[in-house]
Amino acid sequence: MTNQARPAILVVDDNFDNTEIIRDYLGVRGYPVTVAHNGDQALVEFERVRPAIVLLDVMMPGRDGWEVCRLMKQHAELGRLVRIIMVTALDEWDDKRLALQTGADDYVEKPFDLGRLAETVERNTALLPSIG
Amino acid sequence: MRNPVLLTDSVDAAIVEAAALLDSWELLVRDGAALLDEIDSNGDVRVVLTTTTNPNALRDLFEHARSRSLPVLVGCADETMRRRAVELRADDWYRDPAPADEIAARVRTAIVRASQSGRLLAEHADRVEYEQMLFDSLSGLPTLPVVIERSRALIKERGELVVLYFNFVRYSKIEEIYGWEKLDAVLETTAGAVRDFLTRSSSLGTSRVMVSFTHDDDFVLFHVPSAGEAVATEVEVTALLRDLEGEMSRRIEAAHGEEISALFDIYAGRAHVYYNPKVRLQRQIYRGIREAASAAKSIEERERGRKVDDLRVSVRDGLVDIEYHPIVLVSTGETYGYEALARGRMRSLRSPEVMFEVAAEADLLWELGRLCRHRAIEGVRDKLREGQLLFLNVDPHDFADPAFTEDTLDVSEPRCVVIEITERTAIKDYPKFRERLRAFRERGFRFAVDDAGSGYAGLGSIANLEPDFIKLDMSLINGIDVNFIKQNLVETMVRFANDHGTMVIAEGVETAEEFETVKGLGVELVQGFFLHRPGGLPALTGAARSAHGT
Repeated sequence: MTNQARPAILVVDDNFDNTEIIRDYLGVRGYPVTVAHNGDQALVEFERVRPAIVLLDVMMPGRDGWEVCRLMKQHAELGRLVRIIMVTALDEWDDKRLALQTGADDYVEKPFDLGRLAETVERNTALLPSIG
Repeated sequence: MRNPVLLTDSVDAAIVEAAALLDSWELLVRDGAALLDEIDSNGDVRVVLTTTTNPNALRDLFEHARSRSLPVLVGCADETMRRRAVELRADDWYRDPAPADEIAARVRTAIVRASQSGRLLAEHADRVEYEQMLFDSLSGLPTLPVVIERSRALIKERGELVVLYFNFVRYSKIEEIYGWEKLDAVLETTAGAVRDFLTRSSSLGTSRVMVSFTHDDDFVLFHVPSAGEAVATEVEVTALLRDLEGEMSRRIEAAHGEEISALFDIYAGRAHVYYNPKVRLQRQIYRGIREAASAAKSIEERERGRKVDDLRVSVRDGLVDIEYHPIVLVSTGETYGYEALARGRMRSLRSPEVMFEVAAEADLLWELGRLCRHRAIEGVRDKLREGQLLFLNVDPHDFADPAFTEDTLDVSEPRCVVIEITERTAIKDYPKFRERLRAFRERGFRFAVDDAGSGYAGLGSIANLEPDFIKLDMSLINGIDVNFIKQNLVETMVRFANDHGTMVIAEGVETAEEFETVKGLGVELVQGFFLHRPGGLPALTGAARSAHGT
C-alpha cells in the first residue's frame, strides 16, 4: 500500500506525549496524521483535513470526547464519512451503550498498547470506502 | 520586566519543582480571601493552580480568574474533583499528586489554551455547533430561527400566513426498538418526502412555502401566499395534509418496511396568523405554531379515542391474527422454533406496538394478553415438529393477572413453550415476580429475556431471572458488521450466556453481513428478515408431526 492509499487520521488527546507517540507510530506506517490537543482544536482540524478516521480521547478539558464525537458525527458534510475510535476504557456495559449513542464506531482501551491501537486503526480502515 | 507568577493555594515539593522547571517563574502561595485578592490585583499572575476540594472555594476562584481571563489549572484529588474541574471548564487539570514535569507541562498548556488563539478555536467550534442548531444535518432543513428570519419580510408584505404543524407520534419508539441509526434513516426519508411533495404540489400555487424542522421529530410548514393570490382555503389545506400524510407513509413503507410505517402516526394541525404590527412578529409566529401544534394534538387525541374503541371491539370479537417468525439454528439452518407475533386485524391496530400501547391506556392489557396467548397456542396445535419451540411474548403485567397461571396456560407440553419477558418493562416486585416464574418453571415452561442489552437492566438482573434464552436487543444487531462496539457488546453477552448455560438469539438480522458477523461472534440462534419474514406455519406431514402436540 502506498502512502496515498492510507486514510488521513486525526489524533485528539490533551496529553502532548500521547499525540506525539501516536503520530510517530502511525506516521511510520504511512498514515497521514494530524494532531489536536483539545475539542475545539479537533473540530477545526476536522473540517480542515477531513480525516477518514478520528482517534478521540474522552477525558479532555473543555468539550470532552463524547461531545466532540457527537458534533463530528452530526456534521452535515463529513459526519457520514468519518469513523470515530474513542480512546478510553469502556469497562461497563452502560459505558459502551453511551458510546453507541454518541455515534462512536470503535474504541481502544486506555492506557493503550500501540500494537492494539494499530490493529484497531487497520480494522476501521478496512471498512472505509476504497480511496485508491 | 517582572517575572511571571504562578499563584497557588497549596504547595508541595512537586509544585515548587514545577515552578523551578518553568524558568524564572515565581511561586506565590495564598489562601482563602487573600488568594482571590491576589487574582484581582496582582498583574504578574499568569496561571492559578488550585488543589482545593471545597466546591464553593473552587467556584469563587474560577469566577475571579475568569474576570481577569487568567487560566486555571486544577490538581484533582479524586474523580469527583476532576468532574468538577471539567464542569467549570478548567483550562487543564492533573491527577494530584503528579510529577513536577507534568505540572509544568500542564501550566504551559493552560496558558496556550487561554490565549487569543485558543479563544479563536473555541469560537470556531462554537460556530460548528451553531450551524448544527440552525440546519438539521440529516434532513438539511432549516430550523425555526432560520425560517422565522426568512419569513419576516414576506409576512409583513402579505399580511398573513398559514402554519401547518406535523406531529409524528411514536418516532421515539423507532429509536427505542431499532436504535438511533434507524430513526435517523427514517427522518431522512420523511424530510425527502416533504421536500419532493412541496416541489410537486399545485394547491399551494406560487406561494412561498418554507419548511422547518423543530429538531425534535416534528415538522412545521409556513405557507405565505404570493402577491395577488389568496391564501389556500381550509379545504385545500385539508386535502394537502391528507396527500402529504399519504405520501410520507408510502415512502417510509417502501424504504423501511411495513413494520416501521405501521408503527407511527402523523397528525397535522393548522393555524392562520394575521400580521399585527403592534405585536412582535416572532411572538405572533410562535403563537401560530403553538396553536397549530395544539390542533394537531387534539386530532391525535380524537384518533386515540377511536383506537380505544377499535381495541374494545377487537378484544370482544377476537380480531387478532398471529404470525409466526422462525428462529433458526445458525449451525444447520433448521427452524428451532417460532415466535408468535400478534397483530390487530383492524387497520389502526396492525402494529403490535400500537395495539399494546392502546391496551395499556384502555386498561385492557390482561384481556388482550389472554386473547393473544390463546390464539398463538391454538395456531401451533399439531403443527410443530418434534423438538420445535413456541416463543410467547408475555408482558410482566400479565403475571399479576389471576387468569394467567401455569395451570391455565392451555398447553399439553410446557417444555415446548418459551415465555419471553422483555427487559424494557420495569419489574416492580422482584421477589414476587421470581416466585411466579419459579411456578411456571417447575411445570416445565422455559424463559427468554427479550430486548436484552437495551440498557434497561444490567447483566446482573438478567442473570437473576435465570433465563434459558437471551434475545439480544435489535438495536445491537442493526449495522453490527460495521460497528466494533456492538460486536464487543454481543461478544460479552455470548460469553455471559455460555457461563450461565443460556443460549443467545440475535433478533432483527436483516442482511448477510449482519448474519455472518453474529455467526462469527458465536451466536447460536438468529431471527430476522434476512432468513424469514413472519408468516403462517408450514404444513406438517404426518410423519413429522410431533407425538405430543402443544
